[in-house]
Amino acid sequence: MSRVHAPRGLAELLALRADLPGAALMAGGTDLVPRSRARGGLPEDVILLQDVPELHGITSGKGLLRIGAAATHAALLADPRVGRGLPVLARALACLASPAIRNMGSIGGNICTASPAGDTLPPLHVLEARVELAGREGVRELSLAEFILGPGRTALGPGEVLCAVLVPRPEGFSLQHFEKVGLRGAMAIAVVSLAAMLRLDGRGRVAEARLAWGSAGPAVVRCPAAEAALLGRRPTLSALRAAARHARAAVRPIDDLRASAAYRREVAGNLLLRLADLSSR
Amino acid sequence: MPQEFSQIDRRHPRNDALPKALGLERFAADHYPEGLLWAGARRAGIPHARIRTVDVSAAAALPGVVRVLTRADVAGSNLQGIVHKDQPVLAGDKVRHCGDAVALVLAVDRETLARALSLVRLDLEPLPGVFDPAQALKKGAPLVHEGRRGGNVLVRASIRTGRGAAVLRECPVVVRGTFSTPMQAHAFIETENGTARLLPDGTLEMTVSTQAPFRDRFEIAQALGLDPMRIRVVAPYLGGGFGGKDGATVQCLLALAALHAGGRPVKMWWEREESMLAGYKRHAARLTYALGADRDGTLRALSCRIVMDSGAYAHLGGEVMALGMESAGGPYRIPHADIRGLCVYTNNPVAGAFRGFGAAQTAFAAERMMDRLAEKLGMDPLELRLRNALRRGDRNAAGVTMTASTGMAACLEALRAHPAYAAREAWKRAAPPHARRGAGVAAACIGVGYGRGLPDAATARIELTETGTFRIFNAVPDMGQGNASAFALIAAEALGQSPASFELVQPDTACCLPSGSSSAGRTTYTYGNALVRACGALRDRLLVRGAMALLADDTADLTLAPGAVRHVKSGRAVPLALLARMMILEDRTATAEFVMPVTPDATGGKGFVIGFPHLLFAYAAVLALSEVDELTGAVRVRRFVSATDGGRVLNPQGFEQQVAGALIQGMGWALSEDVLTREGRILNPDLSTYLVPTAADAPEVDCLAVDSVEETGPFGMKGIGEVNLNAALPSIGAAVQDACGARLDAAPLTPEKVLGARPRRARRTP
Repeated sequence: MSRVHAPRGLAELLALRADLPGAALMAGGTDLVPRSRARGGLPEDVILLQDVPELHGITSGKGLLRIGAAATHAALLADPRVGRGLPVLARALACLASPAIRNMGSIGGNICTASPAGDTLPPLHVLEARVELAGREGVRELSLAEFILGPGRTALGPGEVLCAVLVPRPEGFSLQHFEKVGLRGAMAIAVVSLAAMLRLDGRGRVAEARLAWGSAGPAVVRCPAAEAALLGRRPTLSALRAAARHARAAVRPIDDLRASAAYRREVAGNLLLRLADLSSR
Repeated sequence: MPQEFSQIDRRHPRNDALPKALGLERFAADHYPEGLLWAGARRAGIPHARIRTVDVSAAAALPGVVRVLTRADVAGSNLQGIVHKDQPVLAGDKVRHCGDAVALVLAVDRETLARALSLVRLDLEPLPGVFDPAQALKKGAPLVHEGRRGGNVLVRASIRTGRGAAVLRECPVVVRGTFSTPMQAHAFIETENGTARLLPDGTLEMTVSTQAPFRDRFEIAQALGLDPMRIRVVAPYLGGGFGGKDGATVQCLLALAALHAGGRPVKMWWEREESMLAGYKRHAARLTYALGADRDGTLRALSCRIVMDSGAYAHLGGEVMALGMESAGGPYRIPHADIRGLCVYTNNPVAGAFRGFGAAQTAFAAERMMDRLAEKLGMDPLELRLRNALRRGDRNAAGVTMTASTGMAACLEALRAHPAYAAREAWKRAAPPHARRGAGVAAACIGVGYGRGLPDAATARIELTETGTFRIFNAVPDMGQGNASAFALIAAEALGQSPASFELVQPDTACCLPSGSSSAGRTTYTYGNALVRACGALRDRLLVRGAMALLADDTADLTLAPGAVRHVKSGRAVPLALLARMMILEDRTATAEFVMPVTPDATGGKGFVIGFPHLLFAYAAVLALSEVDELTGAVRVRRFVSATDGGRVLNPQGFEQQVAGALIQGMGWALSEDVLTREGRILNPDLSTYLVPTAADAPEVDCLAVDSVEETGPFGMKGIGEVNLNAALPSIGAAVQDACGARLDAAPLTPEKVLGARPRRARRTP
């Protein structure tokens, strides 16, 4: 049996967090609850985030979107500022697990679980999102790369809570793409995934490329060499093949039940070629 | 002359559709008797070991634990098994797979149960194990069961027809191949469970998610040393079965627990991981084939070697292999054949019955060999199949003569005539970028019923209730295939009533009459036939009683109309409700038996205990339209078109559900389902790692029924729950090869295998 705490505001949440350093934070519970089956139960103390208003809601700020950490995937998808404004993230949310899980699971949970396969992580990386952490000493901001240290490991301090995700509004990225390779059409853990954002100049040449892979290393993999290889070129198959070679060299995938490292490496590169189909449309 | 029906061959919603949609239908798992205890098994956790001691003291001392039982508490033979009894209820001296139960705990709640199970201390001496049949067959290999004459060979069987494989040398064209198919889990929604209670009069009352309530009584009684007639088994609708609840799952453990519960009810419900660990699986198989033909495509000779992995116990291993061997040559005329099979014990999870039952494994090999032959001869794969398709009076490769309805050619012709078949090339050309599309055809057959050697009967009981409606005592569990609804339809047709006037009692050994299991495509066929007879007897009696009420001299002037017996000439009628009040229960009740006919064929089969050969077969031809992603190797089946010979269709809705369900379950086995093990331990024991298809993966399915009547079936039907599953894997395999050239003989066809198997020239495309 666990003791369940339901704080009604951020101050109460932070006080509980300080008093119960071993407590688990739970938004939708879609990662925590299944994992507890294998661990023989939930932790002794569970702090629910559902009634903390500061963690909910999406607000538009100066050039950025502030997404409450407890916002559900379904709520994000339904919000046009995400659904239309951040297509790379929306595509990932649309193939995350299943409708029932999207109704429960939160973006903050997806980040804090820090799975190499977390579906929202590659899009948040290419969007250059930052996380807002609150503790009793105040608020701090980190980039996603600073926050996620490895599989299941984050920079969240003992008394801290992930409050929000800050997403700069992308300007001019006409080509945004997310693709997950799973072993079935829904409820599939990414074998490898790619988030891509390309800003093209007036002549269709790549002015800026941001590429990030999921399930291709201990954390999301960015590949500056692949991004650089596209600069100044149209996203044609030959340009993308050159970038794919860099990507295959950069990823650090593992062998597991779902696929071999070699497959992941090959497909991490292959997925870039899809951008040629999208840009020719 | 075409028969006129009032109910048959029309679309009807299932009787259980609304109650299930509303959550009102109570499955076995929904039963929580007042004051229940929870029972659970401690599993061995290692694949092969000598048991030194099982120390239950710490578990027994835990507050809330009622009893902890071991082998010493089992009074009977301690052996379960449908045909071959070799599986202990509680292992006493040896552990043969990780899921073996070594202790049984009764506790007041699930949390206490889980703690107590972890407190049972096992002292096991690990033994070297055997984890694949090839290893198990080696000289000096560790023995799974000591003291058997055959060592690790459970069953060795052979079928030789004509001049056997020697004829291959005379064939101008010979193709060869070796295939493998994986272990598959049933993955039903409702995992194995039941409740049991020992009544003060000594009756053991059980409600179990089971496919065979009548046989369960004997299996439990023998294992535990009880009187089978003092065991009552109730079988509500099952939340899926697919063969995995045919034979003891929780039954013997649950009964044992109830014997030691001091009269309190006991509930046992396997967790998903336990279901994967201890439940039965489809046999993994390795198949080596050679198929010889004339230049015009006429099949002449077949050689085939089948090796199946039975896991630690027999279950129905021999029978599964028998059915696979019987259809090893597919639904084709092959005059000369040498078919050999080995079913082998290993320390892997236990294999058992699964929809498709051995024939699913051989269909993959047989059909892909046909594709290979078509390629070599430059023939169209469908035409090659049609040229060799079994017709009534032909003998199949196993020497079994098709004397009953044989619609294989009609299925292939129906498929060829379907617009999607004609349009397949255009569909392929319209592939989106970085995708390759392909079309594949497969044909399949499967024997209906248990086959010779195991009498297969059903006994129907129907009564006119006191209020003038009808009650059918269904004796064969409905695991989702819809047989219970089919029975209401059959009785409605036979008695000229509306289907709404029938109430269905689900199987209960206390009031329903002995019938075989829900399995083998025989459920609706056997019980339905018995029910038609029982309805005939009831109708005759109601007319006699009606004649008295209507003062009619001759029952020939009377007819059974909806809700009444009617005098045709005068139009006078007596309502059934009135008639019922004048009849005692015995008078209002009719019962009848039906025994499945068997083939008189003497064939060249050797080594089978039971299960070979069959008289009736269901047939199907399937077109799979699949898309392969060139960048990832992922395969998406976009559409199945199936043409099935299942005799006359009773309810098109039920027919379509069975066809589509079988194809999609087969698609799961083809693409992603694979119980992975390392040294006997399951690596993917839950549904986030063992991947069954989701609704998002389900393709469009067109279900055609060919014009066919099985003369011996109720209103002309025969069972079709399995046959389409057998065609899914080979048709997808053919479609994948057609799409990108990847010829994969080892299922499942995972993206990684497909990407790696594309020929060099295709690989350069991305």
